[in-house]
Amino acid sequence: MPSKTIAQNITTLVKSNRVIWYGFLLVLMLVGVYGLSMRVQTGLISTNLTSNVPWGAWVAFYIYFVGLSAGAFLLSSLIFVFGMEKYEKIGREALLAAILSMVLAMMFISLDLGRMEKFWHSLVYFNPFSVLSYEVRFYGLYVLILITELYLSMRQDLIKNAQRNDLKGKIAKICSLGSTDLSKQSEERDHKWLKILGSIGIPIAIFGVHGGTGALFAVVKAQHYWNSAIFPVIFVVSALVSGTALLITFYIIRQKVMGGQVDKTMVQSLAGLMIGFLIVDIGLQFYEYLISAYSLDHHALDTLAILFGGKFSLISFWLGQTFIGAVVPIFLYFKFRESVNALLIGAIMVVFGIVAVRFNIVVPPLLIPQLGGLTGGYYFPSSVEWMTSVGVIGFGLLLYSLSVSILPVDLSSPIEKIGGGVKDNG
Amino acid sequence: MVKENIKEKISRRDFFKSSSFGAKAWAAELLAEDEARPKETKWAMVIDLQKCIGCDTCTVSCKAENRTPPGVTYNVVLKEKVGTFPNVTKINTPRPCMQCDQPACKQVCPVKATYKMKNGIVAIDYNRCIGCRYCMVACPYGARYFDFGENYEQEMLGYNSYQTNEYGVEKGERKKKAPVGIVRKCHFCFHRLQRGEEPACVETCLGDARYIGDLNNPDSIVSKLVHSGRAVRLKENMATEPRVYYLK
Ligand code: SF4
Ligand code: SF4
Repeated sequence: MPSKTIAQNITTLVKSNRVIWYGFLLVLMLVGVYGLSMRVQTGLISTNLTSNVPWGAWVAFYIYFVGLSAGAFLLSSLIFVFGMEKYEKIGREALLAAILSMVLAMMFISLDLGRMEKFWHSLVYFNPFSVLSYEVRFYGLYVLILITELYLSMRQDLIKNAQRNDLKGKIAKICSLGSTDLSKQSEERDHKWLKILGSIGIPIAIFGVHGGTGALFAVVKAQHYWNSAIFPVIFVVSALVSGTALLITFYIIRQKVMGGQVDKTMVQSLAGLMIGFLIVDIGLQFYEYLISAYSLDHHALDTLAILFGGKFSLISFWLGQTFIGAVVPIFLYFKFRESVNALLIGAIMVVFGIVAVRFNIVVPPLLIPQLGGLTGGYYFPSSVEWMTSVGVIGFGLLLYSLSVSILPVDLSSPIEKIGGGVKDNG
Repeated sequence: MVKENIKEKISRRDFFKSSSFGAKAWAAELLAEDEARPKETKWAMVIDLQKCIGCDTCTVSCKAENRTPPGVTYNVVLKEKVGTFPNVTKINTPRPCMQCDQPACKQVCPVKATYKMKNGIVAIDYNRCIGCRYCMVACPYGARYFDFGENYEQEMLGYNSYQTNEYGVEKGERKKKAPVGIVRKCHFCFHRLQRGEEPACVETCLGDARYIGDLNNPDSIVSKLVHSGRAVRLKENMATEPRVYYLK
């Protein structure tokens, strides 16, 4: 009897929490809709962007979400390509997070376009010398691969769910795309394709999607601070940091909400990966600063001065990027590795910290005028920029919450050894 | 420079002659065609910094000519104090778009909205530009401006009722359409050049510091000034090959 009441308690708790959660997301989205209406009505004048600082919060969030996506995808490839079964519990979630992050990234960059309605020009017209031109196409290809992979990884569970008579069943039926093959061979075929697609996806994610996004900045010779070959590498490494952190966060929170069992060994191992990537990331960033400083180029030096000592450096660099994004998570990992909660807090902090990292990439170099005598810039996102950003993120969380409650994101049975080996446990 | 060109051609001809691929006739035809073609005008600007008095007339006349909105100034005069007291001077550097021969802005544009015309001018296709502003961060001269859609209607009645026919294209009233929401920059007053007029800044310059002309014509004033030994360009290390020369 008592166990039943506990179970009931948990369900009511989850139910009321669910209402609060969706209500919260609704508020976020309403704020976003208001911001969006201002943005559409008045154009970019609603932002604090100027001709001196043409890129700001939306571009920062855009590269942030591209990074999350690439990071999450690369993590999923550990499972689907390299057969690391210890992470299999987050395989589908990683793919889902990668897809949704990409959706958000595209929403942010569309917000940022001066002429939103002409976004299709970027697909129709092609400049073979422009990195951005290739990027747009890589994004498309990448999302297609992600969706196919997610479908393949869930196909059998979708078919099983399709037998149910509720909404979940109906959606599963649609998502299974008419496939009814539950045979062993078909599962093996799925895994084979997952491996192939994952293998194609890895170079696309590294060099095309996120390295490419880094290259977008790195090729700009006029911005000395961005113009180094290490920049795309930093992008990829920090993508791994943020992607891993996001998945740890999602996984633990979801298990807690659903009353599931948190796989502590897996979380610890993921946290280890995250901290490892983070340390490499910091090292590479140090080189980036060193290259800038050694160049003695006044543009690069001024950028560093703004980064470390500018008006918002206390918040964005010292507090955001360094303290929240690096020092505390590293400390938590090495001191409280045994506590899942500590690891969760560390991961959440990293997720937020990388936002600051992205802002610190985009904004500081633009504040410095290109020629002596031109006016310098000043930038802090406007209320419309904040509101739309909050709205887009709220929308993303909504998509995520709906997806995980409707799609079979959790494994019904462990993935078999990739390549069709024998099932080794339950 | 002209001599160099001739040398280059001769060596090319020699190359074709000596080639044993049996393509001689074709090569000869190609060369003949090459020589027969009249050289196109390729615009360049020369600004004499010794003559510039920093009066900002160019900036103002450019604004009037192109009816640029607030925040968009195709031409500015950069004023810098150099040296320490008492040995100080002021350097005025007018800065239009450099119409670079290797434009960083054109390189990065994802939709080819920015392109180089045969006459040397770097143009923007207002209808194609999506307003991503990549070109703005790439231009080493800060020559590009985003049109946020502001206007001078408060100060100047009827500002919105007419737009300059930049690039020779009639634009009509200023509404919410492009060029609002896209990137704009100096184009050497291409619409005036088409009519046989000098750019507004050149025509109105008080100190007569600005020259416009054809750099393909060795006898033009700009060619002579460019080869006078006084000519420098801004940020040569950027490899953008600007078509605006400054006389020290
Ligand atoms: S000065 Fe700037 S905008 Fe003008 S052509 Fe050169 S790179 Fe492009
Ligand atoms: S703002 Fe326009 S001209 Fe500039 S890079 Fe983007 S599409 Fe090209």
